[in-house]
Amino acid sequence: MKICFLLHNAYGIGGTITTTFNLAGALAERHDVEIVSVLRHREHPNLTPDPRVRLRALVDLRKEADHPLHQRPARIFPAAEYRHHQYSELTDQRIGEHLTDLGADVVIGTRPGLNVHIARQAPRHVLRVGQEHLTLDNHSPRLRTALRRAYRHLDVITTVTEADAAAYRRTMWLPGVHVEALPNSVPDPVLPPADGTGKVVVAAGRLVRVKRYDLLIEAFAPVAAAHPDWQLRIYGKGEEQPALRELIERLGLWNNVFLMGAATPMEAEWVKASIGAAASDFEPFGMTIVEAMRCGLPVVSTDCPYGPGEIIQDGTDGLLVPVGDRDALAAALLRLVGDDELRRRMGTAARENAHRFAPAPVVAQVERIIDQALTARATGRRDAPAASRTGSPLTGRIHAARDTAHAAAAGALRAIRKGRR
Amino acid sequence: MTTQDTTPRTDCAIDADGRITFRLPAPADAAGARLLLRLRPKKGRPEQTLLHLGLESGAAIGRAHAVLEPHPALPEGRWDLYLLPEEGAERQRLRPGLRDLRALVDGHLRDRRSPVAVRVPYVTKDGFLALRTWLRSAHAEALTLGVEDRAITVTARLHGARLHDTARVRLRLRGTHTVQEVRPRIDDDGRGFSFTVDPGDLAAGAPHAGRAWDAFVRPAADAPPVRVGRLLDDVADRKHVHVFPEVRARGSVLRPYYTVDNDLAIEETVHSPTCPK
Repeated sequence: MKICFLLHNAYGIGGTITTTFNLAGALAERHDVEIVSVLRHREHPNLTPDPRVRLRALVDLRKEADHPLHQRPARIFPAAEYRHHQYSELTDQRIGEHLTDLGADVVIGTRPGLNVHIARQAPRHVLRVGQEHLTLDNHSPRLRTALRRAYRHLDVITTVTEADAAAYRRTMWLPGVHVEALPNSVPDPVLPPADGTGKVVVAAGRLVRVKRYDLLIEAFAPVAAAHPDWQLRIYGKGEEQPALRELIERLGLWNNVFLMGAATPMEAEWVKASIGAAASDFEPFGMTIVEAMRCGLPVVSTDCPYGPGEIIQDGTDGLLVPVGDRDALAAALLRLVGDDELRRRMGTAARENAHRFAPAPVVAQVERIIDQALTARATGRRDAPAASRTGSPLTGRIHAARDTAHAAAAGALRAIRKGRR
Repeated sequence: MTTQDTTPRTDCAIDADGRITFRLPAPADAAGARLLLRLRPKKGRPEQTLLHLGLESGAAIGRAHAVLEPHPALPEGRWDLYLLPEEGAERQRLRPGLRDLRALVDGHLRDRRSPVAVRVPYVTKDGFLALRTWLRSAHAEALTLGVEDRAITVTARLHGARLHDTARVRLRLRGTHTVQEVRPRIDDDGRGFSFTVDPGDLAAGAPHAGRAWDAFVRPAADAPPVRVGRLLDDVADRKHVHVFPEVRARGSVLRPYYTVDNDLAIEETVHSPTCPK
């Protein structure tokens, strides 16, 4: 099969890019796979794609940033999408041309705006898959309204958690669209797993508010006081860096807590540790949790919506604590730091349990989803038990009405504010 | 248009003794191929110190490996790594893959003998695989720093020598002969020690921006000074990782820090009275 991924920018850094590269590489074992990056701003991607995966870009910002069409706002890519400001008439045009001439059997979008492009512009004979790496509940009502209209023309929507898939089924009326949770996959580790002896706790991700590294640092204070030979290493960079540095100084933790900067790949860093940590307020999936577990680390995480609770089995392969609860986070870390045997046992369980996120089972699921969708098309039954899967027209309409009202109100407010200026 | 980063990546793993195994895709002529380590010369100077390692094909098909044994110890510096695919062919600088440095993380717990030789594989700013080495007849490993208004306290452990009652810690004003001496507290084993510096002593005289004091310990009255630094873990560049708070004294701002060579120093900047109260 010929499979084409449509990605915002394959040359950047982020969970969606990593997971798309992983899935594309794993699918390339048996299929002809291409990643099409809408934007490109540098010569080489940060991650090296599997050599069998072709990578190309539609708009090269190094040469085309000043293109007249790139100065005009996008019209196909929805205005309510987070990245609308990076899209333009030029991207509209290039994506449109790419989809029209698509020589693939399956096209897979990787963010809402690109899924809308696919829903509206991919040829009828191509199987249209929209991947959602964020969550429906966190989209604005305006964006949900736009997606509600467009997503009916997709064949398949995949979310990264069951909870988000349930949100789609409950609040969107998408007759005949197959909605299924497809977790992100993490490649099989190359290095021997962590052995539970390293006196290091590791966390990784962009240094942004929602990741709550401030909470993690505060929770580590009692750990460092009780176990001064343990350290917390935080990998990543971002706007919170100065504030986190300041917090480390204020709490006197400079001998135990370190901002390590970005590291790609993370595997060699995970294996130095014996505990992984995540303190997010919100985590659509939780890629770093899976990475840590695959390297043999039990992970202490907040039980935030939606990912961590679907990845970690509390008390078996990690510990879940309430969102924003510093003391509970500290207690969970102390429990694992203070118990070598528990740490080792949970680390072994983590490695076994996280195997479900290995490329092989995830690819098998993708192939089954595609096969079923192709069969459904061939037999004219697009996901027959639709009612049970995507709610009912009535509940769908209630949610739609609510979002439309919110969007209209927000639009009116904007208009009023503009008028005042 | 395809863009493919096909540069082969070299994995490496180091054991507690400092033995490094490099693994990379086997070159076409595996028998004639070698790895080259080049001690990076000072700017404008010719390269002089080169080290060749034979490549062996391992158990994995299409892979080759080379081993850098712990002995002899390498001179101190930064080493760039290259593949020499065959005799007479142009050398290719190696890109990093996975660096398995877990054996180094608790390296400060193992007592070393003289000379103290340390190696840490790292990635250069421009993305190449390199090796950082230190070679010192003795080394004082800084462990923790306490920073308060009236005192900067350092705990450390001496490797490759033993401390005597006459031991002194010296802070030398960089580029001068000006020295501040303090008496360390010495553990019973003659290796662990700690010392406290009064920031006010360092800030004596006119406030002076851009000054730095380098930390040494003389294990005995007649012994040569040993640099205090932090070398015995997996972090090759810690200047921006281990960051300490600043202390104000006599109109100066003092901040302990690790230099680009991971040696301990205290820098002084003038406190600028931009917001008078």
